[in-house]
Amino acid sequence: MLTNKIFIKKTRLGGVMKIVREHYLRDDISCGSMACVKNCQGLEREPLEESPDSDSSLLRKSHYIIPDTNVVLHQIDVLEDPSIKNVIILQTVLDEIRHRSAPVYKRVTEMISSSQKHFYTYCNEFNMNTYVERKPGESANDRNDRAIRKAVGWYSSHLKDAGVLVLLLTNDVENLKYALSKNLNAYTIYDYVKSLSNKTIVDRLANPLNQSISDKNKVLFAEHLGMAEIQKGIRSGKYLQGTILISRENYLEANVSIRDKDQMVFVQGLQNLNRAVNDDVVVIEILPESEWSCPSSMVLAEDEGKDEEDEENRGLNDSEKLIQNKVPRELRQPTGRVVGIVKRNWRQYCGILQPSILKERTRHLFIPAEKRIPKIRIETRQSDALASKRIIVAIDSWPRNSRYPLGHFVRCLGGVGDKDTENEVLLLEHDVPHSNFSEAVLSFLPKMPWTITEEDLKRRRDLRHLDICSVDPPGCTDIDDALHCRSLSNGNFEVGVHIADVSHFIRPGNALDQEAANRGTTVYLTDKRIDMVPDLLSSNLCSLRSGVNRFAFSVLWEMTPQADIISTDFTKSIIDSKASLTYAEAQLKIDDPNASDNLTKSLRGLNHLAKILKKKRLDNGALSLASTEVRFFVDSETNDPIDVQTKELRETNSMVEEFMLLANIAVAEKILKEFPDNALLRRHPSPPVSNFDPLIKAAASKGFKIDVSSGKGLADSLDKAVVPENPYFNTMLRIMTTRCMMQAVYFCSGMLQPMDYLHYGLATPIYTHFTSPIRRYSDIIAHRLLAVSIGADASYPELLEKTKIQSLCNNLNYRHKMAQYAGRASVNLHTHLFFKTRVQDEQGHVLFVRKNALQILIPKYGLEGTVFLNDEGQKTSSLFVYDEEMNTQTAGNVTIHVFDPVIVQLSIDRSNVQHMKLSLKLVKPEIPGFSVPSVKDTSTLSTQEPVGKSAQKKRKMM
Amino acid sequence: MADVDLSEPEKVYILHSVQENLREDGRGCEDFRHMEVETGLISNTNGSARVRLASTDVLVGIKVQLTPVDPKKPNVGRIEFFLDCSANATPAFEGRGGEGLASEITAMLTRSYSCFSAIDYTSLCLLPGQQCWLLYIDILLLECGGNLFDAVSIAVKAALFNLRIPNVTMTKDEGGIELDVSDDPFDFKRLDVSGAPVIVTVNKIGHQHVVDASEKEEACSLAKVMLGITEKGTVTAMKKEGSGSLDSESISEMIESAKNVGIELNKCLLNILKEEEAKIEEPVGFLR
Amino acid sequence: MAGMELLSDQGFRTDGRKPNELRRIRFKKGVFKQADGSAYLEQGNTKVLAAVYGPHEIRGSKGKALHDKLLINCQYSMATFSTQDRKRRPRGDRKSQEMTMHLKQTFNAVVLTELFPKVQLDIYVEVLQSDGGNYCASVNAATLALIDAGIPMKDYVIACSGSFVKDTPIVDINHLEESTAGAEIIVAVLPRFDQIVFIEMNSRLHEDHLSRVMDQVMNGCKDIFNILNQQVKDELCKKAAIDKLVDAG
Repeated sequence: MLTNKIFIKKTRLGGVMKIVREHYLRDDISCGSMACVKNCQGLEREPLEESPDSDSSLLRKSHYIIPDTNVVLHQIDVLEDPSIKNVIILQTVLDEIRHRSAPVYKRVTEMISSSQKHFYTYCNEFNMNTYVERKPGESANDRNDRAIRKAVGWYSSHLKDAGVLVLLLTNDVENLKYALSKNLNAYTIYDYVKSLSNKTIVDRLANPLNQSISDKNKVLFAEHLGMAEIQKGIRSGKYLQGTILISRENYLEANVSIRDKDQMVFVQGLQNLNRAVNDDVVVIEILPESEWSCPSSMVLAEDEGKDEEDEENRGLNDSEKLIQNKVPRELRQPTGRVVGIVKRNWRQYCGILQPSILKERTRHLFIPAEKRIPKIRIETRQSDALASKRIIVAIDSWPRNSRYPLGHFVRCLGGVGDKDTENEVLLLEHDVPHSNFSEAVLSFLPKMPWTITEEDLKRRRDLRHLDICSVDPPGCTDIDDALHCRSLSNGNFEVGVHIADVSHFIRPGNALDQEAANRGTTVYLTDKRIDMVPDLLSSNLCSLRSGVNRFAFSVLWEMTPQADIISTDFTKSIIDSKASLTYAEAQLKIDDPNASDNLTKSLRGLNHLAKILKKKRLDNGALSLASTEVRFFVDSETNDPIDVQTKELRETNSMVEEFMLLANIAVAEKILKEFPDNALLRRHPSPPVSNFDPLIKAAASKGFKIDVSSGKGLADSLDKAVVPENPYFNTMLRIMTTRCMMQAVYFCSGMLQPMDYLHYGLATPIYTHFTSPIRRYSDIIAHRLLAVSIGADASYPELLEKTKIQSLCNNLNYRHKMAQYAGRASVNLHTHLFFKTRVQDEQGHVLFVRKNALQILIPKYGLEGTVFLNDEGQKTSSLFVYDEEMNTQTAGNVTIHVFDPVIVQLSIDRSNVQHMKLSLKLVKPEIPGFSVPSVKDTSTLSTQEPVGKSAQKKRKMM
Repeated sequence: MADVDLSEPEKVYILHSVQENLREDGRGCEDFRHMEVETGLISNTNGSARVRLASTDVLVGIKVQLTPVDPKKPNVGRIEFFLDCSANATPAFEGRGGEGLASEITAMLTRSYSCFSAIDYTSLCLLPGQQCWLLYIDILLLECGGNLFDAVSIAVKAALFNLRIPNVTMTKDEGGIELDVSDDPFDFKRLDVSGAPVIVTVNKIGHQHVVDASEKEEACSLAKVMLGITEKGTVTAMKKEGSGSLDSESISEMIESAKNVGIELNKCLLNILKEEEAKIEEPVGFLR
Repeated sequence: MAGMELLSDQGFRTDGRKPNELRRIRFKKGVFKQADGSAYLEQGNTKVLAAVYGPHEIRGSKGKALHDKLLINCQYSMATFSTQDRKRRPRGDRKSQEMTMHLKQTFNAVVLTELFPKVQLDIYVEVLQSDGGNYCASVNAATLALIDAGIPMKDYVIACSGSFVKDTPIVDINHLEESTAGAEIIVAVLPRFDQIVFIEMNSRLHEDHLSRVMDQVMNGCKDIFNILNQQVKDELCKKAAIDKLVDAG
């Protein structure tokens, strides 16, 4: 074992630190090849195949590929193609990628762990034969390139007698030249990929980065500043750094949320946006105040159809040179322009190919589904095949002379309008990890048949004799909670909440755990569930089904009949659920006067206590907020929705919810006590008073005063705001209140002050998630913390480190938000499918009155839609007069207020294939020249079988 | 300083031998004992050196730091000496036991280096009036075998020779001037140490003047003069120590003797340092 | 989750070691003339000098003397240039005082103190360069210095550190691992008796993992012992051979 040292110097606050780290060089690192004849202490099965078939016309011999860093970084889509196998990823390359792009790093490591790809990581930096020392005057990049060439050279000689070649793939001209001069096999990735017999892979090539700007094309954009200049500017305060958020309504407008400041800066127009794509970290310069502007509330959709032909030469056409300086002074917001890009946050985008008139052309425009992303120019030879398909495209670059960013085709998802394809789009657009679980992940599942051992029994409390049952929505297969209640001899009750013991099966740090942590949550789409953990766990071993022995984590209380808690106990247990009930079944049992079996008694006891608990909670100021949840009835043949209903809430729903809240709070208290610094909790900040303005205004229009000074006051004043003739009024107020709320988030207790732990909505000083570990990763952490607290399981370093817990929380918060959005998008998708064949009149209520539109809530479907008052081209805008003060729209003698009942006609606007819209037209009140006549329901009267395929999960989550 | 118990006859013997230009170890009056110099052995410092002069052992490490300039001297960099007497040398240094000696030595060093030509102080200034380098010259005294001042000063000069100051790029903008320290370990500048002084201590033993006195000889000496001497023979500092008194004539003789020794010493040191630098092996340090 | 990866998927630590591998150990006994015993020891980039004086009469107040055994006096000190950030003073801060206490405790357990009543032994440790495992290197260096001084001891005292990363125990951790990994365990043992004379753990580690880390650290101690013992023996044999030659000559 040889030893050597590397020297790195770092600066920090004027202090110059010379950091010296040891670096040991070894001679025992295997080459990873089955073909190796040098017998280099490898494993039985090495990842690289003995004699892989060559598919390249450049060289017909068996070979391994060694890509350099930039090839991996930019051509990851090519490497992911199934035809690319037997690749050596050097440690030098892997380290650089780790630092430069987390997503690419993840994709590379996934390929390395896949047994199909035959990727191998060679630790060249630790090998005495391949380590190179940085030379004086050599840049770190040059050194790394040299290290890569050295490793390629070593492999060439090492495998000389093994009959396998190695070849370096690089796009760097210098690197290629040096490699060739050393007699190494080296090609550019372009030459290599083009030499393959598989021709479709060419489409996946990313564009070369530095295309020279030919003078024939005029420069459209200002140059981005260099990093040094940016940093200087930021320090001097001349520039600001932030994340750019393109407006959903108008792709030419954006807000930049300034880093470390609670400030938004507005950016308007293609020139000022200067090639920033949504989510990029950009640097902006504030414009002089005279040039400040404000968002045009006009909806500006990209106009298609006019100019496919001369897209090529299209510059910045006039529609985009914006309406400027007509902005009244009082509306002006701080406005800036993008001068540089700190970090691109490009991802892969779903969308469709814009049909081109010249079929034989290979350059095409791609229209992303996400409206905030610009069109992308790609090259493909398969435009015919991709015509009406949903495809995925990645951006490679955005040169100054191009109206659109340049990208490449990644893969095809399927036909537009096909439900599976659309679901896939939805998942991709919301960044929901949904690929099948990898081999590595599945390898950590328990081996079937799974049995309970003596050892297991010894470590758990046996609760199999108790009358435990679960109550869930119909069709639920991932049952993560069950309950029981029994009378004690002293007149008190013993209540138990039993939660699936997922952390027993998912051990910290392994691939299964990492995958679950990354997914963060199970995502429920209307007709599909994307599990956080593999099916074997979610629907079988962890699911607390009736009639089988299951492991649980139990919270047991002794309660008085007044629901006062005498004692709380936590234990790992083994249970045998007596019944898996639906809410309706449980309700029937409770209500059935003839039933008096133990299970029913148990349910009644629970119900009784839950009511008291709920009252206590509401008295305490907890909010009961409304949101509408929809349930689709789906045709069993076509999987198309037949009918929609809002979900019905029964007493039993609330019963289960009460005990879940109680368990969560109990666990939160316990783990915080044991781990004051690193408990994973959930908080719901109290909203700033200004958030309530729309609510107060709306309620005032009906003569109600809403007290927002405290949660309790709010709850009370909401209770009082009832209009007898409009029973839906109160619900609407509650819906509006929900919109005023802040997002509830996970956090690590050590990162905040205890006063900030508050959960506003539930009016509890502390809260966590414990009760759904099958579908939420937060709960798994809570389980682990609790298990350590009671000595039932071991801790591990990451669990005890608050920064690690917090970064986990950040991911969970992100995943939860995306899961919610995806869920909503899925409901929309199904709504569209439902109305595809229908035009229907429905009763609705005005939820908001806006300058150019009415926001309508349709209680029957729990839908919200917009009636545009100045509809496409029709010059009807003059018909309505908007009164900002009163918040009304008046046309002739009809005045529309908030909460007014209306009748609207629902249909689907199919003018844009990617964005089918639910279109609402006003039927009543009748406004001549605007409203439409009522129609008979033309929907085909299909047999409305409630197939109950809904996978939408039960309770709402606070 | 370490106690040396010397009997009266021993003292007399030493005194008389020196009188005859015969020192106890056979050296002449202007001869140094065996000395070993090694640089660069503490890798996390910007410059380091170890000097072993007979059994006197000194280790010096220099760390650099960016700092605002002294407003009174806006065009120059700064150096700061710190000396720690390790208890490894003698139990008497335990705790704060070595602090008296330490401040004596650092004071002498500071005085020797306060001469403007000692090192190129202006090259240590990055931005006149604003930023300069501060060199922390930290000295660790590991074993005391006589003639500490000289040994320390030699080690300091060697460490300064070894010092590699990272290059700094300056970029101007309206918010002021930004300094960026190079992260390339090969991108550094060296300090010109040709003007740096070494300390030469001349002990008066009887009527003779001897340099590089051993501990025993030091015990026999009643007065000594310490001088900072550069390669050119310039005297940058002077200090008399000891209970005895000296007449002006012997002082000028002692200065003369110190100059001769100092010039030679500086030359030898520089040669050794250059030779050593040409070697490729990593430093052996205490493993020798 | 960028940042440092202390243990790569390929099973290497940041410096190229496997989890169970020690850093390079080099040492030399008898580096000083004046001390009664001394040693210099490197464990990777952690470099330590130790010196031993005594047994000698009690220095300072005689009241400190123990009537039935040897008084062991220690001082742990760090050169101001030894750390990445320059230290303002070499000793007297809380950390070094604690280290001093630990050393005293450790060596009281191994030196045959009852052989030297009413006198004192000084053990001084100076850290020249610090890259993790300062206590361990100090103990190992001081052991060698005691051997050099010929002080009677039950056994060597060998110290080694360990931590727990990605469900894997790692041994002899360097500064980077000390500052990024979770718990750190430091153990000093009498290798031939399998006895632990000092153990310290900072931050939280589950007891189920403790035994695994402990096993690894104990193995580390064994390995260090073998390295030190081998060289000490070799040197002794060489010296004996030379002495024989001299005697014969």
